[in-house]
Amino acid sequence: MNVRKIVTTVEEIRTEGGREVTPAARIAVVAAVIENPWAGQGFVEDLAPGIDATASDLGALLAPAVLDALGAPAEAYGKAAIVGLDGEIEHGSALIHTLQFGDHFRKAANATTLLPAVEKRGAAGVVFDIPLKHITDATIRSHHQTTEVRITDAPHPDEIVVALAAAAQGRPQQRLAPLSTEQ
Amino acid sequence: MQERITDRPDDSIGLRKLVLYRDVVFTEAGEAPAQPARRASVAAVIRNPWAGAGPTTDLHAEQSRVAPVLARLLTDRLIDALGGVAEIEAFGKAAIVGTAGEIEHAGALIHTPYFGNLVREFLQGESIICFADTRAEAGETLVVPLWHKTHAATRSHYQTISARVADAPRADEIVVIAAASTGPRPHPRIGDRKTDPVVTTETLEKVPS
Repeated sequence: MNVRKIVTTVEEIRTEGGREVTPAARIAVVAAVIENPWAGQGFVEDLAPGIDATASDLGALLAPAVLDALGAPAEAYGKAAIVGLDGEIEHGSALIHTLQFGDHFRKAANATTLLPAVEKRGAAGVVFDIPLKHITDATIRSHHQTTEVRITDAPHPDEIVVALAAAAQGRPQQRLAPLSTEQ
Repeated sequence: MQERITDRPDDSIGLRKLVLYRDVVFTEAGEAPAQPARRASVAAVIRNPWAGAGPTTDLHAEQSRVAPVLARLLTDRLIDALGGVAEIEAFGKAAIVGTAGEIEHAGALIHTPYFGNLVREFLQGESIICFADTRAEAGETLVVPLWHKTHAATRSHYQTISARVADAPRADEIVVIAAASTGPRPHPRIGDRKTDPVVTTETLEKVPS
Protein backbone atom coordinates (compact mmCIF):
# COMPACT_ATOMS: atom_id res chain seq x y z
CA MET A 1 0.00 0.00 0.00
CA ASN A 2 1.47 3.33 -1.07
CA VAL A 3 0.13 6.21 1.02
CA ARG A 4 0.71 9.74 -0.33
CA LYS A 5 -0.91 11.68 2.46
CA ILE A 6 -3.28 11.42 5.40
CA VAL A 7 -5.85 14.13 6.02
CA THR A 8 -7.67 14.62 9.30
CA THR A 9 -10.67 16.88 9.86
CA VAL A 10 -12.43 17.54 13.14
CA GLU A 11 -15.60 19.57 13.27
CA GLU A 12 -16.88 20.90 16.57
CA ILE A 13 -20.36 22.41 16.60
CA ARG A 14 -21.05 24.88 19.41
CA THR A 15 -24.43 26.24 18.33
CA GLU A 16 -27.08 25.00 15.93
CA GLY A 17 -30.42 26.61 15.12
CA GLY A 18 -29.28 29.50 17.29
CA ARG A 19 -29.11 27.35 20.40
CA GLU A 20 -26.10 26.16 22.32
CA VAL A 21 -24.94 22.56 21.83
CA THR A 22 -23.60 21.18 25.12
CA PRO A 23 -21.30 19.38 25.04
CA ALA A 24 -20.10 20.55 21.63
CA ALA A 25 -20.94 18.03 18.90
CA ARG A 26 -17.83 16.42 17.39
CA ILE A 27 -17.34 14.66 14.06
CA ALA A 28 -13.93 13.46 12.87
CA VAL A 29 -12.75 12.13 9.52
CA VAL A 30 -9.42 10.56 8.65
CA ALA A 31 -8.70 9.98 4.97
CA ALA A 32 -5.76 8.17 3.38
CA VAL A 33 -4.79 9.08 -0.16
CA ILE A 34 -3.35 5.91 -1.66
CA GLU A 35 -2.20 4.66 -5.00
CA ASN A 36 -4.95 2.65 -6.70
CA PRO A 37 -3.65 -0.94 -6.33
CA TRP A 38 -5.01 -1.74 -9.81
CA ALA A 39 -3.82 1.40 -11.58
CA GLY A 40 -2.46 0.86 -15.07
CA GLN A 41 -3.42 -2.81 -15.23
CA GLY A 42 -6.41 -2.58 -17.52
CA PHE A 43 -9.53 -4.49 -16.50
CA VAL A 44 -8.57 -6.77 -13.62
CA GLU A 45 -11.07 -9.61 -13.27
CA ASP A 46 -9.98 -10.91 -9.88
CA LEU A 47 -9.69 -8.13 -7.30
CA ALA A 48 -9.11 -10.50 -4.37
CA PRO A 49 -5.28 -10.37 -4.32
CA GLY A 50 -5.32 -6.56 -4.29
CA ILE A 51 -7.96 -6.56 -1.57
CA ASP A 52 -5.96 -8.99 0.54
CA ALA A 53 -2.81 -6.90 0.11
CA THR A 54 -4.42 -3.58 1.02
CA ALA A 55 -7.80 -3.56 2.80
CA SER A 56 -6.75 -4.82 6.22
CA ASP A 57 -3.73 -2.51 6.40
CA LEU A 58 -5.95 0.44 5.50
CA GLY A 59 -8.48 -0.44 8.20
CA ALA A 60 -5.69 -0.84 10.75
CA LEU A 61 -4.29 2.56 9.79
CA LEU A 62 -7.52 4.54 9.75
CA ALA A 63 -9.58 3.08 12.61
CA PRO A 64 -7.37 4.10 15.55
CA ALA A 65 -6.55 7.42 13.86
CA VAL A 66 -10.17 8.52 13.52
CA LEU A 67 -11.02 7.54 17.09
CA ASP A 68 -7.96 9.42 18.31
CA ALA A 69 -8.99 12.50 16.32
CA LEU A 70 -12.52 12.30 17.71
CA GLY A 71 -11.20 12.21 21.28
CA ALA A 72 -14.38 10.61 22.60
CA PRO A 73 -16.22 7.30 22.23
CA ALA A 74 -17.82 6.98 18.79
CA GLU A 75 -21.59 6.68 18.67
CA ALA A 76 -22.00 6.89 14.90
CA TYR A 77 -19.72 6.00 12.02
CA GLY A 78 -19.33 5.74 8.25
CA LYS A 79 -16.81 5.19 5.46
CA ALA A 80 -15.89 6.44 2.01
CA ALA A 81 -13.96 5.46 -1.10
CA ILE A 82 -13.39 8.13 -3.75
CA VAL A 83 -11.73 6.79 -6.85
CA GLY A 84 -9.61 8.92 -9.18
CA LEU A 85 -10.74 9.38 -12.76
CA ASP A 86 -8.69 6.56 -14.27
CA GLY A 87 -10.01 3.91 -11.88
CA GLU A 88 -13.27 2.02 -11.47
CA ILE A 89 -15.66 2.66 -8.62
CA GLU A 90 -15.37 -1.10 -8.18
CA HIS A 91 -11.78 -0.53 -7.04
CA GLY A 92 -12.89 1.74 -4.21
CA SER A 93 -15.71 -0.60 -3.27
CA ALA A 94 -13.23 -3.47 -3.24
CA LEU A 95 -11.17 -1.80 -0.53
CA ILE A 96 -14.01 -0.76 1.79
CA HIS A 97 -16.68 -3.42 1.26
CA THR A 98 -14.81 -6.23 2.94
CA LEU A 99 -14.74 -7.31 6.55
CA GLN A 100 -10.96 -7.08 6.32
CA PHE A 101 -11.38 -3.29 6.26
CA GLY A 102 -14.44 -2.60 8.39
CA ASP A 103 -13.75 -5.00 11.23
CA HIS A 104 -10.82 -2.88 12.41
CA PHE A 105 -13.22 0.02 13.00
CA ARG A 106 -15.97 -2.15 14.49
CA LYS A 107 -13.54 -3.73 16.93
CA ALA A 108 -11.90 -0.46 17.93
CA ALA A 109 -15.28 1.27 18.45
CA ASN A 110 -17.09 -1.70 20.04
CA ALA A 111 -19.51 -1.49 17.14
CA THR A 112 -21.71 -4.10 15.52
CA THR A 113 -23.59 -2.57 12.59
CA LEU A 114 -22.60 -2.31 8.95
CA LEU A 115 -20.79 0.89 8.09
CA PRO A 116 -22.79 3.18 5.80
CA ALA A 117 -20.70 4.22 2.83
CA VAL A 118 -20.20 6.56 -0.09
CA GLU A 119 -18.41 5.40 -3.22
CA LYS A 120 -17.85 7.75 -6.10
CA ARG A 121 -15.38 8.71 -8.78
CA GLY A 122 -14.14 12.22 -9.18
CA ALA A 123 -11.35 14.65 -9.91
CA ALA A 124 -8.99 15.99 -7.27
CA GLY A 125 -10.88 18.38 -5.01
CA VAL A 126 -14.21 16.62 -5.43
CA VAL A 127 -16.57 17.23 -2.50
CA PHE A 128 -18.04 14.11 -0.96
CA ASP A 129 -20.48 13.43 1.87
CA ILE A 130 -19.91 10.54 4.27
CA PRO A 131 -23.11 9.11 5.77
CA LEU A 132 -22.97 8.05 9.42
CA LYS A 133 -25.29 5.81 11.41
CA HIS A 134 -25.35 4.48 14.96
CA ILE A 135 -22.62 1.96 15.72
CA THR A 136 -24.85 -0.70 17.29
CA ASP A 137 -28.34 -0.02 15.91
CA ALA A 138 -28.68 1.44 12.44
CA THR A 139 -32.35 2.27 13.06
CA ILE A 140 -31.58 4.91 15.70
CA ARG A 141 -32.75 8.03 13.88
CA SER A 142 -31.03 10.59 16.06
CA HIS A 143 -27.66 9.40 14.75
CA HIS A 144 -28.41 9.54 11.00
CA GLN A 145 -26.12 12.33 9.80
CA THR A 146 -23.53 13.21 7.17
CA THR A 147 -20.26 15.06 7.09
CA GLU A 148 -18.69 16.79 4.10
CA VAL A 149 -15.09 16.35 3.00
CA ARG A 150 -12.84 17.88 0.35
CA ILE A 151 -9.14 17.34 -0.28
CA THR A 152 -7.80 19.95 -2.67
CA ASP A 153 -5.29 17.78 -4.52
CA ALA A 154 -6.78 14.29 -4.23
CA PRO A 155 -7.57 11.85 -5.68
CA HIS A 156 -5.20 12.01 -8.63
CA PRO A 157 -6.43 9.91 -11.59
CA ASP A 158 -4.49 6.87 -10.35
CA GLU A 159 -5.34 7.26 -6.65
CA ILE A 160 -8.13 6.36 -4.24
CA VAL A 161 -9.16 8.33 -1.15
CA VAL A 162 -10.33 5.97 1.58
CA ALA A 163 -11.85 7.56 4.66
CA LEU A 164 -13.49 6.73 7.97
CA ALA A 165 -15.81 9.08 9.83
CA ALA A 166 -16.85 8.99 13.49
CA ALA A 167 -19.27 11.12 15.50
CA ALA A 168 -19.41 11.33 19.29
CA GLN A 169 -23.17 11.90 19.25
CA GLY A 170 -26.19 12.21 16.98
CA ARG A 171 -27.26 15.38 15.18
CA PRO A 172 -26.69 18.54 17.23
CA GLN A 173 -30.36 19.35 17.89
CA GLN A 174 -31.89 15.95 17.12
CA ARG A 175 -35.55 15.85 18.05
CA LEU A 176 -37.28 13.43 15.67
CA ALA A 177 -39.61 10.75 16.97
CA PRO A 178 -37.94 7.33 17.00
CA LEU A 179 -38.80 4.79 14.33
CA SER A 180 -40.66 2.66 16.91
CA THR A 181 -43.32 5.35 17.34
CA GLU A 182 -44.39 4.89 13.72
CA GLN A 183 -44.58 1.12 13.73
CA MET B 1 -14.77 37.06 33.71
CA GLN B 2 -11.64 36.42 31.70
CA GLU B 3 -11.58 32.79 32.80
CA ARG B 4 -15.13 32.27 31.72
CA ILE B 5 -14.39 33.68 28.27
CA THR B 6 -11.36 31.45 27.84
CA ASP B 7 -13.27 28.46 29.06
CA ARG B 8 -16.33 28.87 26.88
CA PRO B 9 -15.98 31.67 24.34
CA ASP B 10 -19.14 30.76 22.42
CA ASP B 11 -21.38 33.44 23.81
CA SER B 12 -18.78 36.17 23.91
CA ILE B 13 -17.84 35.92 20.23
CA GLY B 14 -20.92 34.24 18.74
CA LEU B 15 -18.99 31.05 17.92
CA ARG B 16 -20.97 28.51 15.88
CA LYS B 17 -18.35 25.93 15.03
CA LEU B 18 -14.66 25.08 14.81
CA VAL B 19 -13.17 23.08 11.95
CA LEU B 20 -9.69 21.54 12.02
CA TYR B 21 -7.99 20.36 8.80
CA ARG B 22 -4.63 18.61 9.03
CA ASP B 23 -2.56 16.82 6.42
CA VAL B 24 0.59 14.77 6.66
CA VAL B 25 2.51 14.00 3.47
CA PHE B 26 4.19 10.61 3.29
CA THR B 27 5.22 10.71 -0.35
CA GLU B 28 5.29 13.47 -2.95
CA ALA B 29 6.12 12.74 -6.56
CA GLY B 30 6.74 9.18 -5.43
CA GLU B 31 9.37 9.89 -2.80
CA ALA B 32 9.27 10.50 0.93
CA PRO B 33 10.20 14.06 1.97
CA ALA B 34 13.57 14.44 3.68
CA GLN B 35 11.82 16.53 6.31
CA PRO B 36 8.17 15.43 6.54
CA ALA B 37 5.80 18.22 7.55
CA ARG B 38 2.41 18.28 9.17
CA ARG B 39 0.21 21.19 8.18
CA ALA B 40 -3.03 22.32 9.72
CA SER B 41 -5.63 25.03 9.56
CA VAL B 42 -8.22 25.81 12.21
CA ALA B 43 -11.31 27.78 11.24
CA ALA B 44 -13.73 29.44 13.63
CA VAL B 45 -17.17 30.41 12.38
CA ILE B 46 -18.47 33.45 14.27
CA ARG B 47 -21.26 35.94 13.97
CA ASN B 48 -20.11 39.09 12.15
CA PRO B 49 -20.09 41.65 14.98
CA TRP B 50 -20.78 44.39 12.42
CA ALA B 51 -23.40 42.71 10.22
CA GLY B 52 -25.84 45.39 9.09
CA ALA B 53 -23.65 48.24 10.28
CA GLY B 54 -22.68 50.97 7.82
CA PRO B 55 -19.21 51.71 6.41
CA THR B 56 -18.60 54.54 8.86
CA THR B 57 -19.03 52.27 11.89
CA ASP B 58 -16.06 52.34 14.24
CA LEU B 59 -14.62 48.82 14.43
CA HIS B 60 -12.25 49.22 17.33
CA ALA B 61 -14.38 48.20 20.28
CA GLU B 62 -15.46 44.86 18.86
CA GLN B 63 -12.13 44.02 17.23
CA SER B 64 -10.30 44.52 20.51
CA ARG B 65 -12.85 42.34 22.29
CA VAL B 66 -13.32 39.50 19.74
CA ALA B 67 -9.91 39.14 18.08
CA PRO B 68 -7.94 38.21 21.23
CA VAL B 69 -10.41 35.43 22.02
CA LEU B 70 -10.01 34.07 18.48
CA ALA B 71 -6.21 34.32 18.64
CA ARG B 72 -6.13 32.20 21.77
CA LEU B 73 -8.72 29.70 20.62
CA LEU B 74 -7.25 29.10 17.16
CA THR B 75 -3.62 28.89 18.26
CA ASP B 76 -4.48 26.51 21.09
CA ARG B 77 -6.08 24.17 18.57
CA LEU B 78 -3.21 24.53 16.08
CA ILE B 79 -0.58 23.79 18.71
CA ASP B 80 -2.54 20.77 19.86
CA ALA B 81 -3.03 19.50 16.29
CA LEU B 82 0.64 19.86 15.34
CA GLY B 83 2.27 18.39 18.43
CA GLY B 84 3.43 21.47 20.32
CA VAL B 85 4.44 25.03 19.62
CA ALA B 86 8.12 24.11 19.21
CA GLU B 87 7.17 21.95 16.23
CA ILE B 88 5.63 24.84 14.33
CA GLU B 89 7.94 26.48 11.76
CA ALA B 90 5.58 28.38 9.45
CA PHE B 91 2.33 30.26 9.93
CA GLY B 92 -0.43 32.16 8.17
CA LYS B 93 -3.88 33.63 8.74
CA ALA B 94 -7.06 34.23 6.77
CA ALA B 95 -10.68 35.27 6.91
CA ILE B 96 -13.77 34.72 4.78
CA VAL B 97 -16.50 37.25 5.35
CA GLY B 98 -20.12 36.45 4.49
CA THR B 99 -21.94 38.41 1.83
CA ALA B 100 -23.66 40.80 4.24
CA GLY B 101 -20.29 42.01 5.55
CA GLU B 102 -17.34 44.03 4.29
CA ILE B 103 -13.81 42.76 3.65
CA GLU B 104 -12.93 45.49 6.15
CA HIS B 105 -14.66 43.39 8.80
CA ALA B 106 -12.37 40.45 8.02
CA GLY B 107 -9.42 42.80 8.20
CA ALA B 108 -10.56 44.14 11.54
CA LEU B 109 -10.35 40.64 13.02
CA ILE B 110 -7.03 39.47 11.51
CA HIS B 111 -4.93 42.55 10.64
CA THR B 112 -4.67 44.33 13.95
CA PRO B 113 -2.42 43.64 16.95
CA TYR B 114 -5.41 42.20 18.79
CA PHE B 115 -5.10 39.12 16.56
CA GLY B 116 -1.75 39.25 14.76
CA ASN B 117 0.47 40.12 17.71
CA LEU B 118 -1.18 37.50 19.89
CA VAL B 119 -1.01 34.76 17.25
CA ARG B 120 2.68 35.58 16.76
CA GLU B 121 3.26 35.48 20.50
CA PHE B 122 1.34 32.25 21.08
CA LEU B 123 3.13 30.53 18.17
CA GLN B 124 6.49 31.96 19.29
CA GLY B 125 7.14 33.69 15.99
CA GLU B 126 8.71 36.97 14.94
CA SER B 127 7.70 37.40 11.29
CA ILE B 128 4.82 39.40 9.93
CA ILE B 129 2.05 36.85 9.34
CA CYS B 130 1.06 36.41 5.70
CA PHE B 131 -2.65 36.24 4.92
CA ALA B 132 -5.54 35.80 2.52
CA ASP B 133 -9.04 37.17 2.73
CA THR B 134 -12.18 37.11 0.63
CA ARG B 135 -15.91 37.61 0.72
CA ALA B 136 -17.83 34.53 -0.31
CA GLU B 137 -20.79 32.23 0.02
CA ALA B 138 -20.65 29.23 2.35
CA GLY B 139 -18.41 26.41 1.16
CA GLU B 140 -15.82 28.58 -0.57
CA THR B 141 -12.28 27.22 -0.42
CA LEU B 142 -9.66 29.75 0.58
CA VAL B 143 -5.96 29.09 -0.04
CA VAL B 144 -4.05 30.23 3.04
CA PRO B 145 -0.39 31.19 2.53
CA LEU B 146 2.23 30.23 5.10
CA TRP B 147 5.79 31.35 5.57
CA HIS B 148 8.53 30.90 8.16
CA LYS B 149 7.55 32.19 11.57
CA THR B 150 10.94 33.73 12.40
CA HIS B 151 12.61 34.16 8.98
CA ALA B 152 9.89 35.10 6.52
CA ALA B 153 12.23 35.09 3.52
CA THR B 154 13.06 31.38 3.97
CA ARG B 155 11.94 30.19 0.55
CA SER B 156 11.64 26.50 1.45
CA HIS B 157 8.75 27.35 3.75
CA TYR B 158 6.63 29.23 1.21
CA GLN B 159 3.57 26.99 1.01
CA THR B 160 -0.20 27.04 1.22
CA ILE B 161 -2.98 25.07 2.83
CA SER B 162 -6.63 25.12 1.83
CA ALA B 163 -9.34 25.95 4.33
CA ARG B 164 -13.03 25.34 3.73
CA VAL B 165 -16.14 25.08 5.91
CA ALA B 166 -19.00 23.44 4.01
CA ASP B 167 -21.80 25.52 5.55
CA ALA B 168 -20.03 28.76 6.40
CA PRO B 169 -19.86 31.67 6.25
CA ARG B 170 -23.53 32.49 6.20
CA ALA B 171 -24.20 36.03 5.01
CA ASP B 172 -23.90 37.44 8.53
CA GLU B 173 -20.90 35.36 9.62
CA ILE B 174 -17.10 35.50 9.35
CA VAL B 175 -14.76 32.50 9.16
CA VAL B 176 -11.45 33.32 10.84
CA ILE B 177 -8.53 30.98 10.17
CA ALA B 178 -5.08 30.39 11.61
CA ALA B 179 -2.77 27.92 9.87
CA ALA B 180 0.68 26.46 10.44
CA SER B 181 3.20 23.91 9.21
CA THR B 182 5.91 21.96 11.00
CA GLY B 183 8.30 22.11 8.07
CA PRO B 184 9.05 23.09 4.48
CA ARG B 185 7.50 21.96 1.19
CA PRO B 186 8.06 18.22 0.55
CA HIS B 187 11.03 18.57 -1.80
CA PRO B 188 12.26 22.19 -1.61
CA ARG B 189 14.93 22.84 -4.24
CA ILE B 190 14.49 26.35 -5.60
CA GLY B 191 17.39 27.86 -3.72
CA ASP B 192 17.28 30.80 -1.38
CA ARG B 193 18.33 34.41 -1.27
CA LYS B 194 21.79 33.31 -0.20
CA THR B 195 22.24 31.10 -3.27
CA ASP B 196 20.46 33.18 -5.89
CA PRO B 197 22.52 34.66 -8.71
CA VAL B 198 22.06 38.35 -9.41
CA VAL B 199 19.21 38.63 -11.89
CA THR B 200 18.56 41.90 -13.70
CA THR B 201 17.78 42.82 -17.27
CA GLU B 202 21.51 43.37 -17.74
CA THR B 203 22.59 39.95 -16.48
CA LEU B 204 20.12 38.18 -18.76
CA GLU B 205 20.93 38.09 -22.43
CA LYS B 206 17.29 38.49 -23.23
CA VAL B 207 14.14 38.99 -21.18
CA PRO B 208 11.37 36.95 -22.75
CA SER B 209 8.37 38.99 -23.72
